[in-house]
Amino acid sequence: MKVSRVYTVLAAGVVGLLLAASVAAGAEEKSRMDVVLERGKLIVVTLTTVPPFAFNDDKGQLVGFDIDIARLVATALFKDPNKVEFVSVSAEGRWPAIESGRADMGVGGTTTYPDRAIRVAFTRPFVDSGISVLVSKKSGIKSLKDLDQDKFTVANLNNPQMADRAKRFFPRAKVLTFDTPSAQFLAVKSGRANALQIDTPAAEYWAAQNKDEMDVLPGLLGASQNNGIFLRTGDFKWWLWLDTAVAEMRTGSWYPQYSEIYHKWFGKNPPPQKFYNPQ
Amino acid sequence: MGFARWAAIYGPTYATGLAWTAATALAAAGGAIAWGCVLLLIRLSAGRWGALGVDGYVQLFRNTPVLLPIYLIYFAFPMIGLPWPAVVCGALALILQNGAYISEILRGSVNAIDRVQFDAARSLGLAPWNTFRKIVLPQVLVYSIPALGNQTVLLLKDTSLLSAISITELTMQAKLLTEQTGAAYEAFIVVALLYLLLVSGTEVVFRASHRAVRWR
Repeated sequence: MKVSRVYTVLAAGVVGLLLAASVAAGAEEKSRMDVVLERGKLIVVTLTTVPPFAFNDDKGQLVGFDIDIARLVATALFKDPNKVEFVSVSAEGRWPAIESGRADMGVGGTTTYPDRAIRVAFTRPFVDSGISVLVSKKSGIKSLKDLDQDKFTVANLNNPQMADRAKRFFPRAKVLTFDTPSAQFLAVKSGRANALQIDTPAAEYWAAQNKDEMDVLPGLLGASQNNGIFLRTGDFKWWLWLDTAVAEMRTGSWYPQYSEIYHKWFGKNPPPQKFYNPQ
Repeated sequence: MGFARWAAIYGPTYATGLAWTAATALAAAGGAIAWGCVLLLIRLSAGRWGALGVDGYVQLFRNTPVLLPIYLIYFAFPMIGLPWPAVVCGALALILQNGAYISEILRGSVNAIDRVQFDAARSLGLAPWNTFRKIVLPQVLVYSIPALGNQTVLLLKDTSLLSAISITELTMQAKLLTEQTGAAYEAFIVVALLYLLLVSGTEVVFRASHRAVRWR
């Protein structure tokens, strides 16, 4: 085959794929809710490298708070916590997994941001979060103010919120960008970076696991945040059901099951079921 | 979003990625070919133990995914007091693995040299090092050009793995753009086209150099 013909065929292939994608996108779709119920199994996209939300334990099993929440959703659908299949991806793989329909919903230390909510829908939060800074003790960093020096390096995850916070809270520090939280952690552990920013529960978990080497700085980077279940936009039936499920977990009939999971992973009770009726 | 508008907005981002990918690939390919020649020299001239050592080395690197040395060099070397920059670690890992492949490619070409030439070299009184430098290496490199081109293309594509260690090459830029905009398809299709461009360029260079030396 001549070279020019190879390129013609390749170009035709790319155009064909794009056409197929646009046709598929335009087709009338039924709700994910019905697809999931018919299939008899829930498919969940998740990260596997953010303890204590979603990570592999010593036996290689995928465990964590978010994993148990997904199992609770499966239980609500099928009366069986095992009727769920997890698809693990790197941080930026979460969005195409949802947009392409590869997964029904996603969890995994995923924070709700207004700009993210443009491309995927979020349920109300199933757990509060915030962004904390984990530092290596060797670095001698005691506060966020200490960190803002050009001799320090901070490990970021590859999302724009991380870059914005770095510019706002420690503009003088150098920044490295990774595609998984575990690579961020490895960077601090190996001395590549002096600190990393991550969801508070993850930072606390790692600090507890590495008491001699690492510490969480006091204070949050910015405000308290919400972690939600994410799904495709525009599917009202599926979104409403998932949002209702989360509401029931945090404030309604499934509060006992939710509390049990919360206690298992965070070692304390969740916020009270009703704010006006603290137990 | 139209591709033209996409390219206009994020063109500079891709340009940075393209520069990193091209520079890393170029340095690593040069290093890998040189390292492959060194391994060949050891195999040909360091006796039985030298050949065995090179064999072991080749087996070790040929049978492990290149992501392992990339991670190992980047994350473990600082622990033993060698905090080299990411791009050095990445290029080194690519050189170590591709050097193993290239030494095997070159070894195959050595067999294409007539044994008589070795006898002639010895009867002229050429030392082993001069025989290697003046007789073996030039012919081996010329015979190997098509296979070396292939290996360089593989190496070029392997640079995408360096996104795992914070190097802002093409794949990393696509990942960052996906996280920033949510437009995974545009981000990755443009990157695919840019890789196609780089690979085609590499092939043209190798084909031209093959044609240039074939006339001799």
